[in-house]
Amino acid sequence: MNAAAPTPWHERRQLLIWLVPPLLWFTVFMVIPYCLLFYYSLGSTEYMTFKPGFSPANLIRVFRTEPYLSVLLKSARIGALTALGATVLGYPVAFCLAFHTRTPRAKFLIYLLVIVPWWAAYLVKAYAWKTILGTNGLLNALLLKLHLIHEPLTLFLYNQFSVVLTLIYIFTPFAILSIYAQLERIPTSIIEAASNLGASTFETLTRIIIPLSLPGVIAGAIITFALATGDFIAPALLGGSNAIMISNVVINLLGVAFDWPMAASIGIVVIGVGTALISVAHYLEHRSQARF
Amino acid sequence: MTAIIEARGLQKHYAGSVAVKNLSLDVREGEFLSLLGASGSGKTTTLRMIAGLEYPTGGQVLFQGQDITHVPAAGRKMRMVFQDFALFPNLIVWDNVAFGLRLRINRPRVSAAEIKSRVGRYLEIVQLSGHADKLPHQLSGGQRQRVALARALVTDPPIVLFDEPLGSLDASMRKVMQIELKRLHRELRKTFIYVTHDQEEAMGLSDRVAVLQGGELLQLATPEEIYAHPESEAVARFIGTANVLTGTVLAADGGFALQLPGGGRISLGNAPAGLSANQTVTVMIRAEQLRIRSAPPVVEGGLAARVDERLFLGDKVRYELEIAGSGMRLTALNASSAARLGIGDPVQVLVEPSQVCVIGPRAGAAR
Repeated sequence: MNAAAPTPWHERRQLLIWLVPPLLWFTVFMVIPYCLLFYYSLGSTEYMTFKPGFSPANLIRVFRTEPYLSVLLKSARIGALTALGATVLGYPVAFCLAFHTRTPRAKFLIYLLVIVPWWAAYLVKAYAWKTILGTNGLLNALLLKLHLIHEPLTLFLYNQFSVVLTLIYIFTPFAILSIYAQLERIPTSIIEAASNLGASTFETLTRIIIPLSLPGVIAGAIITFALATGDFIAPALLGGSNAIMISNVVINLLGVAFDWPMAASIGIVVIGVGTALISVAHYLEHRSQARF
Repeated sequence: MTAIIEARGLQKHYAGSVAVKNLSLDVREGEFLSLLGASGSGKTTTLRMIAGLEYPTGGQVLFQGQDITHVPAAGRKMRMVFQDFALFPNLIVWDNVAFGLRLRINRPRVSAAEIKSRVGRYLEIVQLSGHADKLPHQLSGGQRQRVALARALVTDPPIVLFDEPLGSLDASMRKVMQIELKRLHRELRKTFIYVTHDQEEAMGLSDRVAVLQGGELLQLATPEEIYAHPESEAVARFIGTANVLTGTVLAADGGFALQLPGGGRISLGNAPAGLSANQTVTVMIRAEQLRIRSAPPVVEGGLAARVDERLFLGDKVRYELEIAGSGMRLTALNASSAARLGIGDPVQVLVEPSQVCVIGPRAGAAR
């Protein structure tokens, strides 16, 4: 279409009709809440009540006052470990789903097995890990039965390990589906061409399949990282005092300390840092995306 | 000439369907052999079994007399040009071509200098030297095709396989690539096995053509042989424009003639081998071998017919004719300079006896 030609009025009107719902949605659920969040972050509290203002003091406190920054970093680390674990565990499943599942029925079955845990409530699943890792849990019972230990170990639960383990368990399906979607795009003929040229399975994997699946890996890592970093159920149930994450801090500030400006400031920082990280990852994802 | 590839009783069954049933053929060293057939004829499956991309459910594949039926694709000394080119989208043209040289399968390893000179040489051969740094998606269809070709040839395989390599190119590009392939084959003296559904392409490029239908080999011969003497009606119909007629053999004035049902006679000249009177036979006459002339004056030995349709094709005119009496139809291709005939005009069809090819007795006919 010629860009210089004016768009007829009825076409423009039609475009407008299509644009209204997403714009409305975006305004109501994104723009207004974020503006409010920002507005709150600039205020202060007096006797547990909010006082409007225009001071960046709270935003600065996020970086200056402990434990905010260290908890933030710890959350990011837990998020990164979760993303790593989910990718390492999810890749083989996605690979199997994409290349080694011949019949549609088998594919559907594996797909179902990946998705089915999502039919159970998150809280229940997190709690399940408590019964596995706890002092009287399955793992300890098993080790006692095998006479590998003489008394129950407490090192499985209420630490970062149990939080990361649970988060990996919960969020791995996102990594699987994201990697699978990318692997699905690789034409079979490309893999056949590699082996026809004499490539071993390992060479085909490292030189062709993994590079081509990188965008899916990155996308999966972004999703799992973001979800895990902002999680509050796993640390609350399985983290103990040692693995408090940033969302737990925000909840405390909101519900216990009634310090809304501080909570909002943390929110703004998390959103800002998160958006920056995701943008970089998104850029990398697009750069690594091969055009088939 | 010795056979470089032998297929012995190859079979490929899928759940509920048969792609190839009992196919045997020899590929001679250095020849350009086409596997020609419509879709579903089993030609691609046969090629993929030769390449090791699919394993046969029965039969054997031999390479220089050695059984390679269960040797995986990576271990076979043949390279393939895929229908969709199958270039590695994450690698630039140079790396695509160099891929096969950098693998561990090369013992001893190919040196960096050797890789450089060979990739450079083959990019030159396919006229892509200036595009070495581009990614596949930045190339046109014809250029991608050339990369696929260079990638297959650079490892110097004795056999190159082609799976409808020109299928996704436009008509003019296809013509250019056909000439290119023919030239490459002549210069490199490798064995080319080429799958196509385009009979003109198969005839033009190949030393020999294997015509496949329904997973079976119908005929394997030179293009000339297949064109002039098809062994079956299916081959006759598949290649060129053929008129296939069935009738009864009559002994007439020292020779034989074919009596068509409903009247009309075609002289078969001196008895072709194995014919006897009253036998039902099927004959094939190429459309361009039919001569047609305006009916009056009537000539001895001509077949009376009527013009049913006339199509001007540029270099020739195609006439659809209806034989008087029997209603049988004929197709004639005439040089466009021939006298213009209109629809409905009565004509006479003249056939040289030497141009009538007896396909063989029909199943169930008296022998």
